[in-house]
Amino acid sequence: MKYEVIIGLEIHVETKSKTKMFSGAPTSFNAPPNSQVHVIDMAFPGTLPAVNKKAVQNAIMLSHALNMTIDRELHFDRKNYYYSDLPKGYQITQERRPIGKDGLIDIVVGDQTKSIRIERLHMEEDTAKQIHLADVTLIDYNRAGAPLVEIVTKPDIRSGEEAMAFVETIREIVTFTGVGDGKMEEGSLRCDVNISLRPIGSEKFGTKVEIKNLNSISNIGKVIDIEIKRQTAELDAGHAIVSDTRRYDETLKDTVTMRLKDNAIDYKYFREGNIAPITLSEAFIADVIAKTPELPATKRKRYLEVFNLSHHDINILLQDIDQTNYFDVAATLTTNYRTLINWLNGEVSAYLNKEGIKITALALRPENLAKLVNLVSDGKLSNAQARELFSHIAMTNEDPETKAKALNLVQVSDTDFILKVINEVIDENLSVIDDIKAGKDRAMGFLVGQVMKKTGGKVNPGVANTLMRQEIAKR
Amino acid sequence: MSHLNLTISELHALYVSGMTTPLNVVNEVIDALQKDKNNILEATMFDEARAFAATLKVVEEDNLLWGIPFLVKDNFATKGTETNGSSNILNGYIPLFDAEVITRLKALKAIPIAKTTLDELGMGGKGITGHKGITYNPYGEEKTRIVGGSSSGSASGVASGYVPFSLGSDTGDSIRKPASWAGIVGFKPTWGEISRFGLYSFMPTLDHVGFFTRSVYESAYLYEVTKGFDEKDFTTNIKPSPSVLSDITTPLKGRKIAVLKPIMDVMRNQNLIKEFNSLVQKLKDQGAIVDFVPFDEAILAAILPTYFMLSCAETITCNANLTGINFGNKVEGNSYEEIVLNTRTAGFSSKIKYRFLLGNFVLQKSKRNAYYDRAQRGRRIIVDAFNALFETYDTILLPAAPSHAPRIGEKSEPNSEIENNYMAIANFGGYPSITLPLGLDKGLPLGVNLTSHIHQDGKLLNIAYQIEQLTNLYNLHVGQVK
Repeated sequence: MKYEVIIGLEIHVETKSKTKMFSGAPTSFNAPPNSQVHVIDMAFPGTLPAVNKKAVQNAIMLSHALNMTIDRELHFDRKNYYYSDLPKGYQITQERRPIGKDGLIDIVVGDQTKSIRIERLHMEEDTAKQIHLADVTLIDYNRAGAPLVEIVTKPDIRSGEEAMAFVETIREIVTFTGVGDGKMEEGSLRCDVNISLRPIGSEKFGTKVEIKNLNSISNIGKVIDIEIKRQTAELDAGHAIVSDTRRYDETLKDTVTMRLKDNAIDYKYFREGNIAPITLSEAFIADVIAKTPELPATKRKRYLEVFNLSHHDINILLQDIDQTNYFDVAATLTTNYRTLINWLNGEVSAYLNKEGIKITALALRPENLAKLVNLVSDGKLSNAQARELFSHIAMTNEDPETKAKALNLVQVSDTDFILKVINEVIDENLSVIDDIKAGKDRAMGFLVGQVMKKTGGKVNPGVANTLMRQEIAKR
Repeated sequence: MSHLNLTISELHALYVSGMTTPLNVVNEVIDALQKDKNNILEATMFDEARAFAATLKVVEEDNLLWGIPFLVKDNFATKGTETNGSSNILNGYIPLFDAEVITRLKALKAIPIAKTTLDELGMGGKGITGHKGITYNPYGEEKTRIVGGSSSGSASGVASGYVPFSLGSDTGDSIRKPASWAGIVGFKPTWGEISRFGLYSFMPTLDHVGFFTRSVYESAYLYEVTKGFDEKDFTTNIKPSPSVLSDITTPLKGRKIAVLKPIMDVMRNQNLIKEFNSLVQKLKDQGAIVDFVPFDEAILAAILPTYFMLSCAETITCNANLTGINFGNKVEGNSYEEIVLNTRTAGFSSKIKYRFLLGNFVLQKSKRNAYYDRAQRGRRIIVDAFNALFETYDTILLPAAPSHAPRIGEKSEPNSEIENNYMAIANFGGYPSITLPLGLDKGLPLGVNLTSHIHQDGKLLNIAYQIEQLTNLYNLHVGQVK
């Protein structure tokens, strides 16, 4: 049977703040174990939670970026369960009144845009990190109480690809707003998947399965595809889907049950009496919104409409906010946007990969990359020459024009000289001329290549091509 | 001369006149505490108190608390001094920080002397469930009567005259009931006025920090110097509240006082009724308007079950940190679950477990609508009813207990539930409420309670101050009576 896939995501984002959600302990990643701990994080008797203003601002900024309705009053609740990584025996979260409600964002899959509804965004606190050794479990409280937001979608996602695009979009928003660093591998962005199948045309949802602990965007796509296959096979075999929480098992290459939903814990939520409701003034919210950096969706629209870049190029560019900032500066000094993006996503990107550095560590400033691009576009440099020039100035940021002259990298535009070389090449390759006249146009490339070779690449290949055709026609 | 049995103001006068020093007083208090027979002490801070007192040389004339020794209920965290909440589960636990109210008192150079017993983790009304056993009332024959709880040691110590004040906490009536049986003043202000940071949580929206003193003015003074916003407690009032001292002596003329008739109707102690009615007459003589008002008995009857359902439900989570994993009296096991099970099984008394069971029951998914959620609605209905009363009246006047302190084992609710538990209304509404001595019944104290609308602490203390003038029971202590 054919099935429709229904997916909803729950994404946890660790938001950036100097201190924890409810305590003054610092939140630095990779600090020595148990060095970032306040008495509140340890839940010593008598401690009380103090709400972190920056964490609230982060949640407002994200809610705004996700086009959500922002609650004007903050309410917190207790989610009660016992676990060794949860010092208080409850987590402070926002069950009844999430700060953000009813959001909507667009994702792009291929060239298609699709809107995904977001049910809620709420603030909560992280648990401690446990390190299970053979005979003992160690607890690192550095993470205990770190600020989190949880983003919960409506069941609007229909494939692993869409899920990946959604998470990538969230990651972009998180990093572009500076609210978080969005690193799935470090756990600062985590994703749980709710997935069910239903016969196409059916109105009723199938039984839902939750997959936890997915640690990369590509894994999300991969594991969803595997789970779709598993559920399809179960349904086709006439088996009911069991509602459970699953994880991906690397060795089995399949999802496996962690626990059954039937035994789901009753979290006995009730309101957190230690935090009186906090009124958020319009001015406070407006200030956060005003300080929100340009969102990826806005950038995408600008790149598409103003610069006419392809979706493919935009996707690559948007993977890193620093790349977009670099592009934006360069784009003020050149109008050859296509050449610019080709350079940025091609030569520059390859160079950064090779050197293992980020664009922020590249000495060549966007102003000088724009000049280099202009030299190419104006026909003053061939691509080969430009590449050579780039390799010289990438780590020096020397002026491209000055450096090109110093390297003797200037294209020859003396037509008499070029014609002389062309005729030499033709004379040396008379048999090829016959081929061209017989319609084998590929041979043209060979001849132009010979011209480039003789001139050390200093001739504009376009000019050489045109003149070559003229000369061949004369023979 | 002895410096025991003195009020804060009297001790202060001696300091100002140079007739004694904090160190002298502290030494004398320590001697007296060491001879105490009423089981009031948890950990002591004798050495620290002496050392602190020895540093106090130049009296601060405008600071009544300079060099004043006090006792601290053992559910307030004290840095460096064991704070176990009178529960075995916290035996040996030494906090790394002071409760905010203690920080503020110490900044004023008041001297904490010792921690006092309570009903285990504040849960109990008689002062008999702490891990050290029964705390006794200094009144009556030796070790025969309860002093009430949960702030039992703090009440007993002030009634004994060891110190002029002590810290207590009040979730149902845990300051105001023992104050009645100990013949002293017990005050809890409007919720959110004094920081709860460092107070072991029982139920956050019912918990209050408060004081025992032997004069109304001194309760008002302590409140005045400890109240106010604390960035560590997100339920403290951001707006500074007005001073309660400036108008404390305002005459009673025109004050409107309500007495709840259904509660007076169930009172059976004739001496209590006589004293109460005599007070009412004196109030009227001063120009106050005192009305015996009808009140919905169903609402009064709902107070106790509502209180139990809410407080038991929330207190499980407030004590869910007591697992032995991070701190406290850990009992080993082979797994995390086993450690928690063993620690909690050994650490809590059966009374606590009973409350946890009840709380878990009313909060579980299948029951919460019928119990916990309903109790929340019940709280709202109760508070609305009292808010309505406060539209007309400045305060509610009632006996703080139906009689004097019961003997150990004696039933303390002789007639009906409503007469012994109505003071929890002040916790439901966060109302300021104060108990002060009303008179003596066969040598045993009787108390009267006043409760006013939130943020009317000043008006409440003013009326209480005037009642103290009328009863003339200023600085009542056991040495004076016996």
